[in-house]
Amino acid sequence: MDARHTFDFLTNPERFMAFSRWAAPWLGGLSAAAAVIGLVLTFMVPEDYQQGDTVRMMFIHIPAASLSMFIYLCLGIASLLSLVFRHVLADLAAQACAPIGAVYTALALITGSLWGRPMWGTFWVWDARLTSVLVLLLFYLGYMALRGALEDEQKAARSAAILALVGVINLPVVKFSVDWWNTLHQGSSTFFADKGDHLPAIYAWPAVFMALAYLGGFGALWLVRIRALVWRRKARSLSMKLAEGAR
Amino acid sequence: MSFDFDAGKYAIYLWPAFAVSAVAFAWLIGDSLATARRWRREAERLQAEFDEQRP
Repeated sequence: MDARHTFDFLTNPERFMAFSRWAAPWLGGLSAAAAVIGLVLTFMVPEDYQQGDTVRMMFIHIPAASLSMFIYLCLGIASLLSLVFRHVLADLAAQACAPIGAVYTALALITGSLWGRPMWGTFWVWDARLTSVLVLLLFYLGYMALRGALEDEQKAARSAAILALVGVINLPVVKFSVDWWNTLHQGSSTFFADKGDHLPAIYAWPAVFMALAYLGGFGALWLVRIRALVWRRKARSLSMKLAEGAR
Repeated sequence: MSFDFDAGKYAIYLWPAFAVSAVAFAWLIGDSLATARRWRREAERLQAEFDEQRP
């Protein structure tokens, strides 16, 4: 199957509904299994010699923060596809991932804040990383508000897609903020970290399982929410046909 | 290795972080499934009504 056929497959609503019908529960089940293993490991690893028990916060904070950016990238790509190819499913995909992304971003900010208080002595500081993640949350909220504010669905979809694409500029700012500016937030300590800043090996497994749980959770929820929007669209189209028939 | 649920002086930060995450996921899952079920039923109801009206 070449790239064009894969794209066609994903943009056909009927095929998407057939695919997502089994893919969503499978992804949800795998995500739940990964979460159980991840949580067991989270509370089995020894506390960190510097951070103590707060190190366990890492296993819910990092996946939420990483996924908040990944989901926005998905929102940006889906918005671009809906603008360029006018694919309905791409627009629904963008619309469906915004609330999930907003929740993941809010979780990253809240868990980060609760981790920051005992480690930094403050819940919040206006440094580049924290501020750019807050801006990311505002882009998600702005996207949802714009979609809800305009009555004309096509106009709302186009305006929100443009806003989503503008917000993509913020993603490298979030990612590299700790390198570009002096921040209270630490630099990367996972896969792309400098030598010496690497996560100790004992913390890698809970981190991997929790990352898989958050990723699978996003995948399952995204599919379910797209399915809801496909049905809503169908219901609206049917009610319009019924109204025309009643005239 | 055994379970370590005693977070000591950090418990007031650790447990709220896990609790907020659990509540957020519970809401996301519940809202997504309920919304999908509501629109599926609505679409099926309207489809049945539409099929009845068709000659």
